[in-house]
Amino acid sequence: MGMGNGPVIEMRRISKSFPGVRALDSVDFTVHGNEIVGLVGENGAGKSTLMKILIGLYRQDSGELVIRNETIDLLDPKTAVNLGVGMVFQEGSLLPNLTVAENLFLRHERSFRKNGFLSQKKMNEEAGRQLEKTGMKIDPGMFVRDIPAAERQMIEITRLLWLSRISGVDNPVLILDEPTTVLVSDEIERLFGIMRELKTDSSIIFISHRLEEVLEISDRIVIFKDGRNVEELKADGAEIHKVEQSMVGRELAEDHYKESEQKEPMENVCLEVRGLEKEGSFEPVSFKLKKGEILSLVGVLGSGKEEVCRCIAGISRADRGHIEVTGKRVKISTPKDAIKAGIGYIPIDRRDEGLALQMDVCSNITLVTLHSMISCGLINLGRERDEAMHWVRQLNIKTPSLKTQCMSLSGGNQQKIVLSKWLAGNVNVLLLDHPTRGIDVGAKEEIYKRIRVLAAEGLAIIVMSDTLEEDIGLSNRMIVMRDGRITREIYCPSDGKPKPVDIITYMV
Amino acid sequence: MMDTGERNKPSRGRGKRTIFKEIGRGFQFVISHTTIGPLSVLALIYVIFTISTLGTFTSLENIQVIFSLSGLLAIMALGSSLVILIGAIDLSLEGVMAISSMICGLLLKNPINSADFGFLVLPIVMAIGAVIGFVNGVIITKVKIPSFMVTLGMGYATLGLAVIIGKGATIQILDNRLQTLANGDIIGIPYITLVAVALLVITMAIQRRTALGKYIFAIGGNETLAQMAGIRIDRVKIIVFTISGCLYGIGSFFLVSRLLASSTMISTGYLFPSITAAVVGGTALSGGIGGALNAFIGALVVTGVNNGMVLLNVNPYAVGAVNGILLIIAVALTIDRKKIGIIK
Repeated sequence: MGMGNGPVIEMRRISKSFPGVRALDSVDFTVHGNEIVGLVGENGAGKSTLMKILIGLYRQDSGELVIRNETIDLLDPKTAVNLGVGMVFQEGSLLPNLTVAENLFLRHERSFRKNGFLSQKKMNEEAGRQLEKTGMKIDPGMFVRDIPAAERQMIEITRLLWLSRISGVDNPVLILDEPTTVLVSDEIERLFGIMRELKTDSSIIFISHRLEEVLEISDRIVIFKDGRNVEELKADGAEIHKVEQSMVGRELAEDHYKESEQKEPMENVCLEVRGLEKEGSFEPVSFKLKKGEILSLVGVLGSGKEEVCRCIAGISRADRGHIEVTGKRVKISTPKDAIKAGIGYIPIDRRDEGLALQMDVCSNITLVTLHSMISCGLINLGRERDEAMHWVRQLNIKTPSLKTQCMSLSGGNQQKIVLSKWLAGNVNVLLLDHPTRGIDVGAKEEIYKRIRVLAAEGLAIIVMSDTLEEDIGLSNRMIVMRDGRITREIYCPSDGKPKPVDIITYMV
Repeated sequence: MMDTGERNKPSRGRGKRTIFKEIGRGFQFVISHTTIGPLSVLALIYVIFTISTLGTFTSLENIQVIFSLSGLLAIMALGSSLVILIGAIDLSLEGVMAISSMICGLLLKNPINSADFGFLVLPIVMAIGAVIGFVNGVIITKVKIPSFMVTLGMGYATLGLAVIIGKGATIQILDNRLQTLANGDIIGIPYITLVAVALLVITMAIQRRTALGKYIFAIGGNETLAQMAGIRIDRVKIIVFTISGCLYGIGSFFLVSRLLASSTMISTGYLFPSITAAVVGGTALSGGIGGALNAFIGALVVTGVNNGMVLLNVNPYAVGAVNGILLIIAVALTIDRKKIGIIK
C-alpha cells in the first residue's frame, strides 16, 4: 500500500505533563502519506493528549513536530487545519442549529458572496459537490440537528477535507477518534469504504478500542502504554491477542494494589441489584455485593457500566428493577435517596461533581453530615471542626489548615477530601468512579491502601477504574459488561488473579 | 484538579524585580481577598473624598448621613447578595418594594382611609415581600426558568399591581412615630443603621452557623455537587428568594418612614445600587463567594461614592456613569470565569 511514501507527520520525543501526571514521556509517532495508522492503548495511555498536541490544542513540553519536512510550532487548531491536519471528535463539533452547508463553510463564508451578500444557493451547491466526494447524499440545507450521528461524522470529514483542499495542502491527515462507537455495523462498513477511498490522497489516524476494526482497516498499528511507545507493527498478519498483550503491558509488579491485604468478603449481602434496567443504556442487570467485598465493573466506553453506577447512586433513574441495601428494599430516584440508603458515590470529575472548590476543607468534609451537627438550629462549630480534623488525620490529608480553600490543594488531596466526605456520612456501599484518575503514583498507593482498609471494615465497594490492571488488582470479583449486558463474572482472589488478556475477550 | 502546578516555583528574579514581584503579589492578595479587598477599596475611597472635600466628607454630620443612607441600601443589598450567592439574581426589588410601600401607605395612618396599624405594618410588609420572593423561587425552581427572567417579570407585575392598589396616588403618612424612626438616633447612630447592623448579624449567623448557610455556598460554588451531596437545592433556593423578598419588605417600610409618604415611584432607582453594593462588596456574580458582610461594605462604598460626588458638585449624570463603571469593574474582579464556559 502507500507505505513507501515519505512521512507527512513526524512527532519526535514528545513529552507532556499535567500537574501530578506525566501524560506523554518522549513519544515518537509518524504518519506516512496515503496510510491509515491505527493508534491503540488503554484509557490514559496518552493517545488523546498526543492528538491534541497534533491539532494544536495542547503544546508539548518538549519534543519536535515536523509536518511535511518542516519543523512546525503549532499555536492553535487553526494553524493545524491550514496545514491539513484535522480531527473528528467523539462528541462532534458541528452546530446543530445551523444547516449542513453553513456548518461546512463556517468561517469561510466570504467565498460565497454575491453583491456583498451571502448566496445561500452558491453555498448549498458547493456543499452538495463536496458531500458527494465523501459519498453523501443529503440535502445541504438541512439542519444538523435533524441528521443522525453517523452522517454528522461524515459531514465533519467532508469539512476537514474541504478545508485542506482550499488551503492547497497535499495529502491531508485526518484524525478519527472512536468514530465507530456511534455506528451500527453496516454504517461502519460504509465508513471503512470511504476511509479506503480517502486513502488515495490523504492519511488517516484511526483511534478505536475495537481492536478487530483497527486490524481490519489500518496499515500500521502503533501501541501506547502509560504515555510511552510500546510497540509498532504492520496490521497485515497481526494478531489481536498480541496487540492486547502489548496494550495492557507487562505482568503486575509485586503487591502494587496491596493484594496481600485483600480479604475474603463477609457472609452478609450488603447490596443487591435485581433486574435493574434502563432503556437505551443497559439491559436488566442483577448482582449481589457482600460486606467487605470489592467489586469491579469492567467494560469499554458505552458498555453501560457507568450508567448502572449512576442509577445505583440516584443520579440517573432506572426504568425497571430494584435495589436492596442490607436486605431492605430501597427506592432510589435522587442522590438524596441514595445517601439515605447508605450509598456514597465518588464521581470521576472532582471539579464538577466532587468538591465545592471555593469552600474550605472543613465545609467540604462535613457537607453530607451537617444535619447531625446542629443544635438549636445552629451548627456546633466545635463538633464540625472535630469531625473534619478526624478525617484529615485519618486519611492523611495534607492541608495548611481546615480553613484552606480546596482549590489550592493537589489532586490527590482533593480526592481524599471527597472520600472523607462520604466516609463521614457512614455509608454501607461506596461507588468509586475512577478513583485514581489524574493523581500521582504516591497518592494512588494511599488510595489503594485506604480502599483495602475500608473493605476490611465491612464496607461494600464498587469500583470502575482506569486500567484493567487496576480493576484486577483491586477487586475480589469483576463483572464484565458489553453493549449494556453482563457478559461474564470473574473472581479475582489474591492468590489467583486472572490475566488482562483473558478478560478483554469478554469486553470487546 | 490540574491547577496546582503554578505554586512553589522558586522565584529567580533579583533585587528590584523581586520587590516588584512581592508588591505585585501583595496587591494580588489584597484585591482577591473576599473581605480585605473591598475593605481597602472602602478605605481608599473615604481617604480620597476626605482629601478632595477638605474634610467635609468625614465630618460627623456627613458620616451620619452616609450611615443613614447606607443603612437602607445595606438592607436591600443583603437580600440581593443572598440571591447572588446561589448564582442567581433578583431583579424584582423595585416592584416588591413598590407594592410593599403602597400597602404601608394604606395601612399606616393616612388621609385616605381610617387604618392605623402603626408598627404592626412592618411584619405585614415583611410577609408580603416574603410571599413574592417565595413565588419567585417556586417559579424558578419548579418551572425551571432563569432567575433573571422570572424576577424581571415579577418586578413589573408587582409594580403594576402597586399602581392598581394605590390608584397611582401618593399617600401621605400621618403617623408621627415614623418620623422619629427615620430621623432618630442613639448616641449619634441612626436607628436605621442599627437595624441594618442587626440584620447583618442575623444574616451572617445564617451564613456561618446554619446548614442553610453552608448549603447556599455549596449551591453557589457547585450545584451538581450540592445535589449529589443530597442537598434539596430547590428548597434552599426558594428559601433564599423568600428571605430576600422579606428584606425588601423591611427596606420599603423604612423608605416610607423616611419620606413620610408612599407612592409607586418610591423604589425607582434602588435596584441598581443594591446589586452594585452586593457586587462591589465582593460577592461574585458567579455565586459561592462573598456574603452579608460584603454587601454591607459594598453599601458603604456605593453610598460614600455618591455622597462624595454630591459634595463635590459633580454633574448627576456623571454620578450615574461612575456607578455603572464601578459595577463593571467590581464584576470583572470578582466573577469566576471558569464557571461560565462561554460568556454570552
